[in-house]
Amino acid sequence: MKTLGLWALRILAAAILLPVGYQKLIGDEMSVMLFDTLGMEPHGRIIIGVVEIIAALLLLSPLAATGALLVVAVMLGAIIAHVTVLGVEVGGDGGRLLAMLATVFVSGTTVLVALRHQLPIIGHTLDRTGDERLP
Amino acid sequence: MTSGNATGSTSGFRHLETRLTVNLDRASRTANVALILALGASFVLGLYVSFYFHFLTVVLLLTNAVNFYWRHLQVRHTLLANYGFLAQVRYLLESVGPEFRQYLFANDSEERPFSRNERAEVYRKAKGIDSSGAFGTQRDLATGFATLRHSFFPAEASQASSFQVSFGDQRDCPHPYTAGHPVFISAMSYGSLGQKAVRALARGARKAGIPMNTGEGGHPKHHLAEGADLIFQMGTAKFGVRTEDGQLDDERLEALSAHDQVKMVEIKLSQGAKPGKGGLLPKEKISEEIAELRGVPRDRDVVSPAFHPECVDPASTVAFIRRVQEVSGLPVGIKFCLGRDSELRELVQEMRSQDVFPDWITVDGAEGGTGAAPRSFMDGVGLPLFQALPTVQKILTEEGATDRTRILASGKLIDARRQLVAMAMGASATYTARGFMLALGCIQALQCNQNTCPVGITTHDPALQRGLDIEEKSERVARYARALCREQGELLAAMGVRSRPELDLSTVHLPTLNGAGS
Repeated sequence: MKTLGLWALRILAAAILLPVGYQKLIGDEMSVMLFDTLGMEPHGRIIIGVVEIIAALLLLSPLAATGALLVVAVMLGAIIAHVTVLGVEVGGDGGRLLAMLATVFVSGTTVLVALRHQLPIIGHTLDRTGDERLP
Repeated sequence: MTSGNATGSTSGFRHLETRLTVNLDRASRTANVALILALGASFVLGLYVSFYFHFLTVVLLLTNAVNFYWRHLQVRHTLLANYGFLAQVRYLLESVGPEFRQYLFANDSEERPFSRNERAEVYRKAKGIDSSGAFGTQRDLATGFATLRHSFFPAEASQASSFQVSFGDQRDCPHPYTAGHPVFISAMSYGSLGQKAVRALARGARKAGIPMNTGEGGHPKHHLAEGADLIFQMGTAKFGVRTEDGQLDDERLEALSAHDQVKMVEIKLSQGAKPGKGGLLPKEKISEEIAELRGVPRDRDVVSPAFHPECVDPASTVAFIRRVQEVSGLPVGIKFCLGRDSELRELVQEMRSQDVFPDWITVDGAEGGTGAAPRSFMDGVGLPLFQALPTVQKILTEEGATDRTRILASGKLIDARRQLVAMAMGASATYTARGFMLALGCIQALQCNQNTCPVGITTHDPALQRGLDIEEKSERVARYARALCREQGELLAAMGVRSRPELDLSTVHLPTLNGAGS
C-alpha cells in the first residue's frame, strides 16, 4: 500500500516535471520570460531544465531517493523565486504555475522522507532500521 | 615557588595541547554556526547580486535541515548529535578505512587470514612466475612458526617417490580410488561459488589430475560438466541426496554414485570455521538454479542443521557410515573439526567394535575458510589444525586404526611447507579451498557472504562474473596445483625424504611447547 502510494507520487511528480523541463530546454516563451525576470536567461533556464529532467528520470528509477532530493532542491529554488521576485501570479495564469510547483514540492518531499534511508552516504544516519544489517 | 611551578607547567601543558591537537568540539560548534550564517549570506547575495546564488542557498538550506535533524531530533548517533555534520567526516573515513589499510598501510605480513606475502606466493605459482626472493626471510622464525628439518644428506629430487594416495583399498570396496598427488581442492559448493568459478576450478582440477570436493551444494551439475574427479560432499542437510524430511535418500545417493566422475563420498560432520553449526547460504546468493539444485526456498537464508539426523551417538554414526559405504559402493570418508579428544576416541572404538571404518578422516582446522559463518564461531570454536592432527593420529594409533583409515588435512594449507607439516603429522593428503580461490584471482575482499565478490568468484551476479574467463583461470588453477606438487618434491628432497613413511614428526620443527605452530 505504502509502496503503491509512493509510486503514485513519483509518477505524478515526474509527469509534471518532464514536460516542464522540456519546455525550458526548447526555449518556450513563458520559460524565457520567467528566467529573463530572474536574470538567468539563457544559462539558468537550460541548467534547471536539465536538472528537472534528470530528477524526473531518477524518480522513476531505483535511485528515487536521490531523484527526490534533486526535485526538492529545484522546487526550493522555485519557491524562493516566487517569494522574492515573481509573486503568486505569473503572466496572468491565476497561480497555476505556483499550484504545480506546490504539488511537485509536496510529492517530492514525501518521497524523500519515505525513502531517506536510501540516500547515498548519509542515508544510514537518517533511518531507524537501515543501519547495521545483521549477517 | 612550588605552586607557581605547578601552575606554570599546567598552563604550559594546556598550551601544548591546544597547539598540537585540533579542538574538535570548538571546530564543530563553529562549523554549525557558520553553516547557518552561510545560508543567510547566500540568500542576501541571491537577492541583491544574482539569482544564481540561490543554487547555493538551496544546498545550504537542505544541509542545515539535515544538520538540525542530526543535532536535535535523532538519538541513534551520539557523535552526530554532539557535533553535527563535521562528525560525518569520521563515518566517511571509516568507510574507506579497509581499502586504505589494505592498499597503503598494512604491511606485507600482517593481513589476515592471508598476508600479502602469502597471497602473492599463490599468485606467482598460479601465473607461473619465478618465486625466488632476496635478502632473507620476512618471517619471525623465533615465534611459533613451524619449519621443516632438512637432512645432512638430501635426496635427489628425482628419487622421491610420488606421494599418490589410495582410498578404499584397505577394505573390499568395489570401486577404490587412487589420487596421483596429495593436493586436493577442498569443499566449495555451487552456491557459495558462482558458476564460472566452479567451472574454472573443475577444469583446472582435470588438467592437473587432482580430485575436487563438491561442497554441500546439491547435485553437482557444474562440477560434473568439466570432467574432473569428484568427491561428493554430503552436508548435514544432504542437498542432492535428501528425502523430503531431510533424511538420506538411498536411491538418489546410488544414482549419484553411479556417475563415472563421482569417485568418493565425504560425510561432513562439522567444519572448522563453524563447528557445531550447519552450512549457511545467505539469501542474497540463492539463484533460481541453486534453489532448484538444493530444493530450498529463495526468500530466506539456507541454514543446514547442526548434525545429521541419522548420527546422534557413536553407534548410529558408525552405522550411518556403513550405510553410505554400502549404498554408494565408493570410498566414504568423514570430515570434522576436532572438539573433544574423548569423543573421538569413543567414535574410533565404536568403529572397531562394529568393524566399520571410514576410508578416510578429514581433519579440518578451526582456521578453515567459509563463505559465511558467525564470527563467534570462526574465532572461538574448535581446535586449530596443528593442534588437532597429532591428537587424531595418536588416537588412531592407540586404537589400532591406522591401517584401516587415512587422514586428510585442511585449514589454510595453501603452501607446500604447511602441507608437509600436516603430512608429517599423519595426513596422507591435503585439501585447500582458499589456495585455489586465490589462484582463481581472489583478492581477499572478504565479501563472500554478500554476493558482491569484486572478482566474480563468490557471486552469482553476471556483471561481476563477466571478467572471469574460465579457460584462463583454469590454467592458473592447474599451474598452482602443479607448482605445489613440485615445491613439495623440492622440500622433500632437501629433507632427505624418499617415501611416505619417512615423513614423520621427526622431520618438522614445532616451536611451541604443546606441539603446535603456524
